Amino acid sequence: MPEPVIVDRVTKRFAGHTAVDSLSLSVPSGIIYGLLGPNGAGKTTALRMIMDIYEPDSGSVRLFDTVAGGRDHSERIGYLPEERGLYQKMRVLDVLIFLAEVKGVSRRMARVQALEWLDKLGLSDWRLRKVSDLSKGMQQKVAFISTVLHDPELVILDEPFSGLDPVNSQVMRETVLDYRRRGKTVLFSTHIMEHAEKLCDRLCIIARGKKLIDGSLTEVKRTHGGQHVIVAFDGSQGNAPQIFADRRLVAKIQDFGQQAELELAPGADPQEILKGLVTSGARLARFELASPSLHKIFVDLVGPEAATAAATGGENRA
Amino acid sequence: MHKVWAIIRREFVERVRTKWFWVSAVLGPVLFAGIIVFQIVQSLGGGARNVAVVDSSTGGLGRRVVEALETSGSFRASLVPAHAGVMDSLRDVVESKRLNGFLIVSNDLVETGRAEYHATSLGMQTIENLQRSLGRLVVKERLEQKGVNPGVVDWAQIRVALDQRKITRTGTVSESAAQSFLMAYLMAILLFMAILLYGVNVMSSVLEEKTTRIIEVLVSSVRPFQLMLGKILGAGSVSFFQFVIWGVSARVLLLLRNPIARALGADPSAVQMTLPHIPAATLAVFVAFFLGGFLLYSAMFAAVGAMSSNEQEARQAQQPVTYLLMISYLSILGLTNDPNSTFARTLSLVPFTTPIATPVRWTAGSMPTWELVASLVILGMAIVGVTWVARIYRVGILMTGKRPNLKELMRWVRA
Repeated sequence: MPEPVIVDRVTKRFAGHTAVDSLSLSVPSGIIYGLLGPNGAGKTTALRMIMDIYEPDSGSVRLFDTVAGGRDHSERIGYLPEERGLYQKMRVLDVLIFLAEVKGVSRRMARVQALEWLDKLGLSDWRLRKVSDLSKGMQQKVAFISTVLHDPELVILDEPFSGLDPVNSQVMRETVLDYRRRGKTVLFSTHIMEHAEKLCDRLCIIARGKKLIDGSLTEVKRTHGGQHVIVAFDGSQGNAPQIFADRRLVAKIQDFGQQAELELAPGADPQEILKGLVTSGARLARFELASPSLHKIFVDLVGPEAATAAATGGENRA
Repeated sequence: MHKVWAIIRREFVERVRTKWFWVSAVLGPVLFAGIIVFQIVQSLGGGARNVAVVDSSTGGLGRRVVEALETSGSFRASLVPAHAGVMDSLRDVVESKRLNGFLIVSNDLVETGRAEYHATSLGMQTIENLQRSLGRLVVKERLEQKGVNPGVVDWAQIRVALDQRKITRTGTVSESAAQSFLMAYLMAILLFMAILLYGVNVMSSVLEEKTTRIIEVLVSSVRPFQLMLGKILGAGSVSFFQFVIWGVSARVLLLLRNPIARALGADPSAVQMTLPHIPAATLAVFVAFFLGGFLLYSAMFAAVGAMSSNEQEARQAQQPVTYLLMISYLSILGLTNDPNSTFARTLSLVPFTTPIATPVRWTAGSMPTWELVASLVILGMAIVGVTWVARIYRVGILMTGKRPNLKELMRWVRA
């Protein structure tokens, strides 16, 4: 099975800055692939180049083992941009049929599929209403239907969870997992590591347009992060800060107050730390050997400023 | 091709579904029916003016003036002897609309050719009719004073009817100057309105896709050029559909004009229908230049929509394009007055003015075939140049934030 998406050293410059800098990635068939990075890292630009919305300044994109980009394969790809706009004055059913037709689906097929999907998501009664009559959540559903209506082999989702309430977020997550179960490929971008950690088989972290790391989730965790310990206190912390500050034992610490994630120094024994904590009089609720969270790896790689920006900032660039 | 077709259809169906389309589709025939009814009503004699003739002459000149006015058919005249205060009382009657005006005649009329006419509105037609009737009378009076036999005078006075014929490529056609002027004028207004209204439609449609960001999904499936083409063709066919509705309803109303006249109690044969005959060649020129002009302008409007990020910005940015269109609109009078002037020739050879100027020149007067061909070629080249505008569209539709300046636009075009 050829890899559905191969990106080979693509670069895209906008007036004054390089949005994507010689980025390469390959997405194997039948998996969920996460493109991770803080805001402004170039995720959207990368996806847009895959979708033929932008032409790369250099490098190439191969989809389904052909030199053609997303436009020529529009029947096989479902693309959901971050901003999910619809024609406000059109009827729901007409919008869905039109967007499918534009992808190359026959009008008749589009109609059948659209009605089926509207029924599935409980929007049947709204099919002849104008899009502007729908609530924001319903519009999101319609946009989502338009992405998957033609049963694409490859689904590309740009920040699929942004702007979704918890219920819809759950629906989105299940749909993504369902896609993989049916042997389809999902490529999505996000800056929220929790989503990525729960979903991705493989991932790629980028920052400032450059790839920092890619591989399977376990690979990434193994090569980046080393040995981790999660400590949670139950009241008194005793002499814990002093032990955490011991560079022979702890290489890095992320302190959340009542809980801390420690990256052990090379060769350090976690039992030493446990012993030290107990003798120092700390009351422990949890002491766990763990692989590092994706968030931790992300912060280590992109730097704390960028990671904070990722958690709060908004993207203003096109 | 299937994709372009889907875009054309969406554009067409969504526009035709709006109530504005149907408002203007109905408004056209209503206006036309109004013109027909107006002409019928006028033929019923609504056109005759009520005039009083104040006679201050010696020798009954007033009576003869009244007779002359009555026989002209354009006036209902009554004789009022001159007395003190007659002016004031007549003025009151005119102001109360029971009289259109009053004429004061004295011996001066025959001696020096002078008379006075007082009215609230001095219509050109009325004045011309008055002058003609009085003129004939005065000539007759003066000849008789010199002893010419009244019968000879009557015999000598003959009205010349100038049968106007226009020389065209296809032969000599009987058509009056007023008719071809009217035709050309009507054509220019139709072209101007259609290009402007539907061009702006293209712009707002582009803007809608841009602001709602649907454009991203569209451009990932369709080439920007295909999208722009589909949009322009879609809006163009709506406009064409509008013309067809107007044309068909005008045709039907024209067929029904005799029943309408009878229903209004008028004699159908007395109703003059000044509707010009449209030769096939003129229609072809009209259609060709409408299509070309529409393509040219709506592509520019599409580019304007693409480089703006909201309605206000677009309204500002469209002004240069609208001005280009206004130039030809404002030149219509000049064009029809002298269709072969250097001014007119220049306008029909400039790509931005030729879509309106050439059909007007063609209709208003004879235009050498080679000039028509040259205009078409220039328009065709301009449309090819539109692909250049399409680059602005391609880059613009994906841009957000501030409007590009001229330098940035140039860079988009070169990109």
